[in-house]
Amino acid sequence: MADKFALDKYADLDSLIHSWHPKYKILGISLLIFSFAFIQDISLIPVMLGITIIFYNISKLPLSFLFSRLHYPGLFLLGIIFLLPFMRGEDVIWQWSFIKLRQEGILLVLVIVCRFFSIFTLGLVMLGTTPFLTTIQAMRQLGLSGVIADMLILSYRYIYQIFVDFSQMQQAMQLRGYTTKKQSNRKYHISIFRHISVLAAVTASLLLRSYEQSERVYAAMRLRGYGDLTTSIVKPNMMNHKSAKNDLLSILALLGTLVVAVSLLLWEII
Amino acid sequence: MHISDGLLGAPVVIGGYAITGLTTWYSLRQINRQPEPTQGIPKASLLTAAFFVASSIHIPFPPTSLHLILNGLLGVVLGYYAFPAILIGLFFQAVMLGHGGLSTLGLNAAIVGIPALLIYHLFCWRSFIEKYFNKRVTTGIFAFLAGALGVALTVILFFGLVVSTLGTGEHADTERAATLGLVISHIPLMILEGIFTTFVVLFLQQAKPQLLEGNG
Repeated sequence: MADKFALDKYADLDSLIHSWHPKYKILGISLLIFSFAFIQDISLIPVMLGITIIFYNISKLPLSFLFSRLHYPGLFLLGIIFLLPFMRGEDVIWQWSFIKLRQEGILLVLVIVCRFFSIFTLGLVMLGTTPFLTTIQAMRQLGLSGVIADMLILSYRYIYQIFVDFSQMQQAMQLRGYTTKKQSNRKYHISIFRHISVLAAVTASLLLRSYEQSERVYAAMRLRGYGDLTTSIVKPNMMNHKSAKNDLLSILALLGTLVVAVSLLLWEII
Repeated sequence: MHISDGLLGAPVVIGGYAITGLTTWYSLRQINRQPEPTQGIPKASLLTAAFFVASSIHIPFPPTSLHLILNGLLGVVLGYYAFPAILIGLFFQAVMLGHGGLSTLGLNAAIVGIPALLIYHLFCWRSFIEKYFNKRVTTGIFAFLAGALGVALTVILFFGLVVSTLGTGEHADTERAATLGLVISHIPLMILEGIFTTFVVLFLQQAKPQLLEGNG
């Protein structure tokens, strides 16, 4: 389970992106992500895809890591992709009865799909090439609030455990005959109302367990000196700097991405 | 109910981050005013993780199944911590599951989180009504409203934003009708989430009433 959701399981690989200082990496890749969000011009799509592929290649992250997370873009996005070519635009390129396929709609879908792929992939490069704690420390250096940083770290730490608890609860429910599958509904017909009541009880138990555990966690943290807003778990100065040379290369890489991002924006505006 | 990366243009995306930035600042200011702000952090964090897990629950609704948003319940249980919790939950959903996106995180947090804060304030009013009516019934009614209105507000914001942004603006009446139709089609989800929230809140009121005090 932990492996399924772990963001940083390839954070120990050796690549140029991995050795990029996390603070500059977050800044640089975020700039690129926002410049991609500005792209409307279809002629910039190959450039955007090219930059994305180059970044992913340099990062040495396996393709399976990308595809394992790319498989579910959301039903809503799929709905938009299928509807827009028929609803948006004036230039009809194909018609059958009242159904009209429009050129502007097709081009817009192409832009949306490519932007989605590029932004998602770059996000994965940004977060998948640094240990999660280091990413949060870098975010703290960039001004992220201590409360949010602490909540991020603690939530990330306990998601796996709560998933295990939830799986055990589901298993216990199944052993007692509860299932949402259709075949068994023939034997044990359960109304929607009953489903809601059972699942609400499971959710409430999960919240209750988490709340009780949080009290124990807080007590343990208090014993270790945690208690006011100045004693955040994540300290911005905890991050290791490899060398001054590495910092210089990181700044140069940031400047490079800044030039690319600004060029894309200027191309789009002009 | 997530807006994916790439769906909307940069001005809307940046606007989403601006609104989320302001709302986060407001929530953190309210948290810092509490007598012991750090006391709520472990509770809010573990409950954020629990809500993240619980959001994977699908309720069978033949011929399909419905996925709950739980923002009303988050507002009821976490109070001002609800907005940072939703921001973090959506961040994890974007990077771990590919639901939503990093560029649209601000928009999604605003769409789901602002209703949660409004619901928290609505749920606080129950203490005034409880004085005159049965406590359990009042809590149940407010919990239903919290669940149903949380989804309703999110659905209105979501479809309003998407239709107005992706639409051409030439057929404003058609776009308004489409938004209204999409909102109406979500009424079953609102009712379902209202009932679900009622069950959870009544359970918590009986087992651990402190969880409903609204401070995480």
